Amino acid sequence: MLTLNHFLVLGAILFCIGLYGAISKRNAIAVLMGIEIMLNAVNITMVGFSFFDQVRPYSTHLTGQIFAIFIITVAAAEAAVALAMIIAIYRKRDTVDVGEIDMMKW
Amino acid sequence: MALYQFSGLILLAPLLAFAVIIFGTRPWDLLSRDKSGKAINRAGRAEAGPYGGEGDSTSSHADAHAVEAHGSAGDDHGEHGQDDDDDPKVPYLTRGAKVSGYVAIAIMALACIYSWVLLISTLIDPQTLPPQGITVFQYEWLVQGSASYVVAFQLDHLAIAMMVVVTTVSLLVQFYSQGYMEDSAGYARFFSYLSLFAFSMLVIVFARNFLVIFVGWELVGLSSYLLIGFWINKRAKPEEQRPSPANAALQAFVVNRVGDVGFIIGIMILFTSTGTFEFSQLVTRVQTMDKTLLTVAMILVFCGAIGKSAQVPLHVWLPSAMEGPTPVSALIHAATMVAAGVYMVARTYPLFAAADPAAFEVVAWVGAITATFAATIALVQTDFKRVLAFSTISQLGYMFVGLGVAGPELQSGPGMFHLFTHAFFKALLFLGAGSVLHSLHHATHKEVQDMRLMGGLATRMPITAITWLIATLAISGFPFFSGFFSKETIIGLTFERGDWGLYALTLGTAGLTAFYMLRAYIQAFGGKGGRVGGLWGGTYRGVGEPHESPRTITIPLILLAIPSVIAGYWVGFFTYLNPNSPSLDIGQMLATPDTWIGVVVSLVGLAVAYVLYARVEPAKLHSVVQNNVVLRTLHRILYNRYYIDELYDLFVRYVVLGISHIEQAFDTYIIDGLVNGAARAVTTLGRDTSKVETGRVQTYMIGFFGGIAVLAVIVFVLVTYVRG
Repeated sequence: MLTLNHFLVLGAILFCIGLYGAISKRNAIAVLMGIEIMLNAVNITMVGFSFFDQVRPYSTHLTGQIFAIFIITVAAAEAAVALAMIIAIYRKRDTVDVGEIDMMKW
Repeated sequence: MALYQFSGLILLAPLLAFAVIIFGTRPWDLLSRDKSGKAINRAGRAEAGPYGGEGDSTSSHADAHAVEAHGSAGDDHGEHGQDDDDDPKVPYLTRGAKVSGYVAIAIMALACIYSWVLLISTLIDPQTLPPQGITVFQYEWLVQGSASYVVAFQLDHLAIAMMVVVTTVSLLVQFYSQGYMEDSAGYARFFSYLSLFAFSMLVIVFARNFLVIFVGWELVGLSSYLLIGFWINKRAKPEEQRPSPANAALQAFVVNRVGDVGFIIGIMILFTSTGTFEFSQLVTRVQTMDKTLLTVAMILVFCGAIGKSAQVPLHVWLPSAMEGPTPVSALIHAATMVAAGVYMVARTYPLFAAADPAAFEVVAWVGAITATFAATIALVQTDFKRVLAFSTISQLGYMFVGLGVAGPELQSGPGMFHLFTHAFFKALLFLGAGSVLHSLHHATHKEVQDMRLMGGLATRMPITAITWLIATLAISGFPFFSGFFSKETIIGLTFERGDWGLYALTLGTAGLTAFYMLRAYIQAFGGKGGRVGGLWGGTYRGVGEPHESPRTITIPLILLAIPSVIAGYWVGFFTYLNPNSPSLDIGQMLATPDTWIGVVVSLVGLAVAYVLYARVEPAKLHSVVQNNVVLRTLHRILYNRYYIDELYDLFVRYVVLGISHIEQAFDTYIIDGLVNGAARAVTTLGRDTSKVETGRVQTYMIGFFGGIAVLAVIVFVLVTYVRG
């Protein structure tokens, strides 16, 4: 039987995969994909909580699902902006290696 | 009574003159500036006096009057040589400068007249002014708990007697300065300083409590500093053992600080024990005070007087102070600075009397030792002004002896009496010496103070000579001159007390005084071959043709010669200061044999000086001294002032500077080490932590999520274990 824990564990696993990808990948696109995975992991957790919270009346436990929709929207916008930046950086520096994009320091 | 109530105006007058000159001189000067502004610029230029550089070509200006000579020579002197006399000179005084002088003199004349009116009215009817005096000005400065600090000025007989001296001598000195400073740059500034000096001294004279007297004390120190260092660009003359005026001023200030340390501690002891600064309240309250503590406090207070009145061992500043302009020396020595110490002891006389007799013993012995000590040094000095400096130290010693031995009957009378008479003849001596230096400066175009380059001046400047002779006889205690009465009173008191040590010292000093004063007179004005057996005229050993000084200089000399003779005939002086004292009985004094012992000793001193200097060639005397080992050594020790200055020099160089070096090392290595170390630690920390900022987004991400992970673990632990 499907319980809240399944959702939470799936969310945690997805979050860790996304985190690993975001931290370890050199390619900016891959880092962006990792971040997307992390966002979706959070979405799953939200939806999970929302679905299994049966104590309160139906009208109030939609919050998590609405939140998830907002995250999807923002993630889409964020992906668009991030990809645009990556293209701009590529045009300027001929690389998308995040290890080499380190101008913002002392 | 209104006459006395408004006497505070005497105090304010010199301050007013000071303020008017300081704030008014520039506008006046600007009014009288010529179109090119040349004269003003030259006056203001620091080092290039137009007179500089022509010092060697003395003969070319021998007969030209110096002011014109300076003016005409000044235009073609672009650069100047290493002349000693390098204080800035001006070709002529601007109208503003002259007006400043007139303002100062006019205001001081008013103050002088007022103080004489006060003196005469209290002499006619002493009852009009109560013996404890009246308060002329009072202002509550600060009240803190039960202690109140009051700025208060009072007027009593002691203050009036002193005030007359201060204003009279100041007035004559200012009048005299018109001639003496005729070509000095900063003429107006000089007059403003003289006014400030008189004001400072009047603050002490009027003081009703220790607080005010201390303020005046420091003001006197400041104004003497300004005046001694007036010729700021003059250099030291090591071959004549003369410091530069700037150093002399600094020395006077610093040496006075040494005495002031004792003074302020003494005041603080009195204040903490009795809770008041007021002299009148202190007199009653110290009766219940611990006798030993009071004695210590009074001796510490006396330390201030030692510094200010140049007693041993803090006398070194006074000979150095001779580097100031001569009118300043006259003012310092006669009325304002050194008299402050004596006046302060006279003012606090009841407190000294309430203390253990040891306090007065200290006062008397310091005075007696100083008197003898300074007199022996004065025997061999060749610098004209320095002889007078040591004579002042010696006479101040007499005053302290007088204060120390007077006893409850005469109280501060004898000491103040000698201060009173001494002020006139010492001012006369200094102004006369200044007249000689002024004349020699015009004749030789050099600054001549060495008596070996004088001689026979009496026929060339008769007014100066005759007034100087009067002052010499007065200070020597020659019968029926003013010094005779005041000095023989003090010597007589030591005799009556049966204190043979003090008696021997004061008596011996009387002989020494007579000797060195007549010696100085003969060396400057007389000499072998002159008239009246060598007393009047003789061979002039310098260059040029000195002649009598202008009238602005001779008038004060003549005016001062009068009180130098008659001041001693004020027989009611003791009664004036203290109603219970008997007045001076001249008849009884002349009938007492010990008076004549003193006179004989003085006459012997005069006679020896006459024989040695008027009847013997200087060269012969010199060779006799140089060929005798004992005399030569003695001469050298005395000439070098017992090497006290060298001793202090060594002390400062090795002890004071040694401690300073240690403190400097402490400062450099420990204090600075702490501060610099802290700064360095912060810098290092910052430089190292800045490496964390790599600019790579993934590093930040690791930090961010790592931090969250750590926080999560902590929360987990707290939730699981601490709450459970």
